Amino acid sequence: MKNRLTALALSLCVATPGLAQATQVKLGFVNSITGPEAPIGENLTNGVALALEDLKKKGIDVELIKEDDTGKPEKSMAAFEKMATRDKVAGVVGPYSSKCANAVAKLAEKYKTPLLIPVASKEEITRQNLKWTFRLSATTNDYANILLDMATSLGKPKTIAIINENTDFGTSGARSAKAFATKRGISVVAEEAYSPGAPDYRSTLSKIKSKKPDLVFMISYVADAILLMRQSREIGITPQAFLGAGAGFSVAQFAKEKEISNYVFSSTQWTGDVNWPGAKEFNSRYKAKFGKEPTYHASTAYASMIIMAETAAKEAGNQEKMRNELKTGHWNGIMGEVTFRDYDGYTNQNKHQMLVEQVQNGVHETVYPTRYTSRKPIYPFPGWKK
Amino acid sequence: MTIFLQSLISGILIGGVYALIGIGLTIIFGVMRVINFAHGDLLMLGMYATYFLFTLLGVDPFVSIVFTIPLMFLYGGVLQKVFINRILNSLPQNQILLTIGLGLIMSNAVMLAFTSDYKILTTSYSSGSVDILGISVSQPLVISFVITAAITALLYWFLLKTDTGQAIRATAQDREAAQLMGINVKRMSIIAFGLGASLAGTAGALISPTYYIFPQVGSSFTLKAFVITVLGGMGSIVGATLGGILIGIAESIGGVYLGSGWKEVIVFVLFLLVLLFKPSGLMGKSNA
Repeated sequence: MKNRLTALALSLCVATPGLAQATQVKLGFVNSITGPEAPIGENLTNGVALALEDLKKKGIDVELIKEDDTGKPEKSMAAFEKMATRDKVAGVVGPYSSKCANAVAKLAEKYKTPLLIPVASKEEITRQNLKWTFRLSATTNDYANILLDMATSLGKPKTIAIINENTDFGTSGARSAKAFATKRGISVVAEEAYSPGAPDYRSTLSKIKSKKPDLVFMISYVADAILLMRQSREIGITPQAFLGAGAGFSVAQFAKEKEISNYVFSSTQWTGDVNWPGAKEFNSRYKAKFGKEPTYHASTAYASMIIMAETAAKEAGNQEKMRNELKTGHWNGIMGEVTFRDYDGYTNQNKHQMLVEQVQNGVHETVYPTRYTSRKPIYPFPGWKK
Repeated sequence: MTIFLQSLISGILIGGVYALIGIGLTIIFGVMRVINFAHGDLLMLGMYATYFLFTLLGVDPFVSIVFTIPLMFLYGGVLQKVFINRILNSLPQNQILLTIGLGLIMSNAVMLAFTSDYKILTTSYSSGSVDILGISVSQPLVISFVITAAITALLYWFLLKTDTGQAIRATAQDREAAQLMGINVKRMSIIAFGLGASLAGTAGALISPTYYIFPQVGSSFTLKAFVITVLGGMGSIVGATLGGILIGIAESIGGVYLGSGWKEVIVFVLFLLVLLFKPSGLMGKSNA
């Protein structure tokens, strides 16, 4: 009840910004601004920029300390230490990738500084009983789960081949895909972990082709996703469906490569046409401001920054109180309902609803679960256009 | 068997491009004894040149090397004249720092100008393939391999038969003796660096239809070029050709039989073995 009241009070302040005095909060933001993950990092940066605008309208002035981790765990750790000790920020949002987030999570515990991870999805991050680490996004487990849910509801796949990059995100995704597939009686006929950035996956793909899998499940970042699909076409792999676990498969650039991306499914944390409050507006605002489609990275970063800043403003930067507020609070915004709870071995984990989208005619369309959309999935894969 | 042949062929084809990268690095090292750590970044510039020639002017990536080669040659020559020539006689670590620094400036300048977005070049043949006895052979890779072979042959002819080529080789063999014989070694260095840069740029142009382009793409190729050069013997062009193809095959076959995650292990184990048993590299002459 008390929460409700404070929420009410807060929303009153929002409604009458003239009356409320601007609250100052100092927050940190660790992100991959340069380095190989920079193209995705840019989405987070833009999402946060929009969040700061909206916070200002609500009377919260955020002094944001930004640090670049270049995609390297040691750099993000150094950045976090600097923010926690020298800048004395109230809380930190970030970092982007799983390997960085996992490294930083332990530091949050050490410096007793609340950390809100927007989108890194390796399961272990919130499975270590860490009291100061919160995560907004769903985990890699969920990426695989929703896709297999959909595939088994649409067809009767018997075999699956798993291709993943050998990073934290990739291996944990492959592991959960394997577990879920086995549970549903789909046998895993090939498992290939590759190191990202190689120009040639043909040998791996021809090995997979010889196994004739019903489903091909891939976990890759941006450019490798395009490369893998191109070379799959070249080799002539034709499963019932290509399933991509978010990341590289859910960016607009991938969808634009119609020749190779049509009919590919990908699981995602968020889409621009989902019916969560403010999602569509966020989508159009983002497009107008940055001239690009936002990815789910942008929306998770936006929501995370809003939550962290509102919490910091409410508790006047008291970190112990902020942790309690995050733990018990409830938010509803462009990412749907957000609560940080302990369940299934997770600590401070938001139980986020995943979505499945499919590239249809060069555009990502939300196709599953059916209650969030009106579009129909196209299954099985109709084959390559000659 | 099909899988073996498939991976062997794609290994050889991709190895051809690796060879081109390695040859560029080895020429520069041979003539100046400078390891060019900006080599991958030169390749990256070649990729961007190709990308913009294609998207803005509609020049086919494979045709674009006609522009890329002289452009990169000039650029390499200027780099040599303005920067590298000044440090030829200084400590090796200073030379390394300079080339690394130049590379960083290039990749970050490109990032500033064109952002870190991945650029993808899609041509009508980007994912095309030819079917030969059940083996699918990538169309763009075949074309780039043919071009690579032609360029390598031309380079051999240039180095073996022309006066300038011989002067470059003389400079590589013994800088002081060459200078005493009346060879303008500074000019040879400029030509050598220009050649190295244009080879890297060409390699960049040739892989852009099948690969992707971003400002930091260079670093992995610098490492690969370095391994190829050392494997083949520092300064040996035949060695670099051989090293490039060997690494292409090792990656491809290792990827199939040991798992894709292991292919780099194969490459580096191979690299270590050569260093252990033949420290001067496959084709290298031991430095007296």
